Amino acid sequence: MPDPETDNSPAIEAPRFEPDVGWVPADERLFGVDRRTIAPTLAVFALAIVMSVVLPVINAKVPYDDIVRAGDALQLQGDVTFVPEAGWGITSGVRVGNAPLSGEYPATATVEHAAVKFSVHTAPFDGDANKLLDQIETTSEALNRGRGVHVAGAHTTIVTDQGKQGATARVIGPHTGGVIAAFVFDGRGVEAVATGPSDAGADPTGAVFGMIRSISHPGEGKR
Amino acid sequence: MTTTSLADLDRARDVALDLSGWGRPFSFYQPRNLAFWGYLALVGTGMFLFVSRVTSEYDAYGQAIALAVTSFAIYAALFWWFTQRIDRYAKLPAKLMVVAFLWGGFAATWMMAASANDAILALYAKSFGQSWALNWGAGLSAPFTEETAKGSGLLLLIALAPRQVRTAFDGLILGAFIGLGFQILEDITYAMTSASSQFGANQIGASIGTIVVRMVSGVAAHILYSAIFCAGLIYLLGRPAEPRRVGRGLLLMAIPMLLHGIWDSLAATAGRSALLLIGLLISVVVLALVIVARVYGLTVTREREILRAVMNPEEARNVISAAELDALAGNRKARKRYRKANPNRRERKRARYVLNAAYDLAHELAGARGADTDRVRFARTEVGRIRAGVPSSW
Repeated sequence: MPDPETDNSPAIEAPRFEPDVGWVPADERLFGVDRRTIAPTLAVFALAIVMSVVLPVINAKVPYDDIVRAGDALQLQGDVTFVPEAGWGITSGVRVGNAPLSGEYPATATVEHAAVKFSVHTAPFDGDANKLLDQIETTSEALNRGRGVHVAGAHTTIVTDQGKQGATARVIGPHTGGVIAAFVFDGRGVEAVATGPSDAGADPTGAVFGMIRSISHPGEGKR
Repeated sequence: MTTTSLADLDRARDVALDLSGWGRPFSFYQPRNLAFWGYLALVGTGMFLFVSRVTSEYDAYGQAIALAVTSFAIYAALFWWFTQRIDRYAKLPAKLMVVAFLWGGFAATWMMAASANDAILALYAKSFGQSWALNWGAGLSAPFTEETAKGSGLLLLIALAPRQVRTAFDGLILGAFIGLGFQILEDITYAMTSASSQFGANQIGASIGTIVVRMVSGVAAHILYSAIFCAGLIYLLGRPAEPRRVGRGLLLMAIPMLLHGIWDSLAATAGRSALLLIGLLISVVVLALVIVARVYGLTVTREREILRAVMNPEEARNVISAAELDALAGNRKARKRYRKANPNRRERKRARYVLNAAYDLAHELAGARGADTDRVRFARTEVGRIRAGVPSSW
């Protein structure tokens, strides 16, 4: 421990010189850039490219091979089910009885065939099928501002195999056409959308309407 | 007994300031630093992606977006305050914390982890089935993509501020800010997704649950994971004030990945038992908090040593007492013990103010690189003034 009475050396008066933050030593410059910063930056860029380009490209190259077999049915949240067309590929959603370990089925299921995509989504909804279709139309208009795929034309009625009445309308977009249907089962809304190229022809139409009509909910059948 | 001269203590202070980088200014604009351009490109792209998403969905989910942004801004401010508060020793420049926050918020989330997570989840579903992917996909993708995306930001920060980022504790603090940015932007995105879940109807009702859950669970999530990961990354790389410790570094980087994986797999692990889920959830949060407290204790030691080295000459010159030095460079208990040693409430309050003035002096000394500048001399007189109970003339 020094004695301040006898050891009275003063602290330095001015800070020691330090070069500016942006200064680069002459022997560390490469075309004016600080060569010490190249390796970490390239490493981070490589990681960013792997994450944002390489992985999505690999994913796009790997096809889905979970094909619907005759008799398969997909289940969603709230015990909503539908029967996908045999031969179509399941890109999201799980089969009846194949629930995740948590017991909670996903809210959305999607099947695809060639360029045609059929997706069913369910969530709580307070109102009837026409109100749900209006809500979907309002939301899609707000999202797309008239530019993307949107609901077009008047609502018509559709009835499922279970006897549930729903509302349906056409959807159109740039080079895209399709159909949308809405049902409400005891406070649970169900939206089914099929989209594909405008020139897909009539082939998928039967399959799509078949899948829409297969939408069911256990409470409904008992009534 | 060895005697240390004031000159030795001053030299030790210079060495400590030089090694730690404490008090050095930070300038973000460094056109000759490639990390500056890399940072701008990745954060700028991420920001563009986020703003595009918000503007495209604002007309549809405006209420939920406004609620989420407001709620999480308050939440972020609280965590910002807390994280800055624990950085009480060799403080980092606030500008650097903002740079860290923006990396976590825009580059790590939108530019990197979001697309990687989507791709890996889809690949899992294609390889192992949809049900398996729903059970384990998140737990086996996010820990790797998100922790590395956030942690990679620290590499750029070191390249941008090599004179300031010197200790594992610096990594801990910057990691916490990276995690905070990630957490807030991810939470806003989750709230937007929830707003769309009920066909765009009942937006507030649909998103409020998500907002509350994310706020509660966020206490032991990204902020904590990144803090531990980035402290580990500093140990792995080694810095002038922190010798390389590869094993410790790798362990600290693996722990948050493991915690993150367990967290994301809780629903699958608990199965259909809500009670088990709550029990596991609480256990993981407690475990994560215990671990981060240990890592804080491990990394803060170096910072306390640096503070002690900076303030030792002040104690030798009788500016502060030995007890004050111990309290300054000690933990919360040491500061409390120092205050409680005073006989009454008034004295205890004054002791607290003396400590705060001494911290101010330490920061001035760091800013002056140990020199006896006017600011330092003034900070010294402030310590004396408060100790003497003289009111401030300013």
